[in-house]
Amino acid sequence: MPTSDIDLLAIVDGMDKRFDPNVYSIYSYDRIHALWHEGNPFAWHLSLEARLLFASDGTDFLASLASPAPYQNRLFDCEKFHKLFHGAVASILLSRSTLVFDLSTIFLSIRNFATCFSLGLTVRPDFSRDSARRLSEDPVPISQISYSTLENARILCTRGIGDNISSADASRAISEFGAVDAWMFGLIKKVKQ
Amino acid sequence: MSEFSNRIEAQRQILRIVNRRSWGGEQLFSLSSKAISRWVDINRLDASAQMVCLVTAAAEKLFFLANKSQEQVSEDYRATSIAIAAIASLLETEMGED
Repeated sequence: MPTSDIDLLAIVDGMDKRFDPNVYSIYSYDRIHALWHEGNPFAWHLSLEARLLFASDGTDFLASLASPAPYQNRLFDCEKFHKLFHGAVASILLSRSTLVFDLSTIFLSIRNFATCFSLGLTVRPDFSRDSARRLSEDPVPISQISYSTLENARILCTRGIGDNISSADASRAISEFGAVDAWMFGLIKKVKQ
Repeated sequence: MSEFSNRIEAQRQILRIVNRRSWGGEQLFSLSSKAISRWVDINRLDASAQMVCLVTAAAEKLFFLANKSQEQVSEDYRATSIAIAAIASLLETEMGED
């Protein structure tokens, strides 16, 4: 299910009803400054990849900022997304009543884990949906079809579009989670080193 | 657990309550507005039904928490977390009555 990997960001000064929160990620100027100050991965994402579409005063606010602070929380963040992965796997083992949500959460955990790893330990940070598959030395060991299943679950949860996940596709993906867990564990060891 | 993880878990708990029922069409996949609309449409639910209103209310509270997530824990945050738990309890009752 190929859909746009482009997100829309609105930076506002207080409540601004022009922007539908279902369409835009809405941040205040203060919040952007805080993200910059802490060296948050989202700040790095914006700093390196955001493009201005419109500014009411014609100023490119993000471009006017210096680089974000160095990214310091790579271990904390990688461990956080590893735990998120574990929680979703445990939920699936407990019950299938939240299967699509759990598969979506697993996609989120894998992608964000890889993004944080690439930002913290490689020269080429990758903020894309495919960040985990594009880690040059350590791509996530999961088949393309299972990765697509997880991505489709994510799109079902966020945008409500696409076909429901079949039992066969879910089972195939689930059978590969052991390898994904070992991959995360191995990369966390690298971060610690 | 981080606030981010707490929000994921809170969402999962709401979904688990709603999806105890065998929906003829599809489960509720998440609490995004588009996922809720899909669930209402596919299962031909009355959008004004109490259950749908409770699900929507929970989603709005979680959205509020998401926007507060990086800030210091505030009274607003605590109050909203409690409100979500209350909605989950109401949903439990609602699902049990149908």
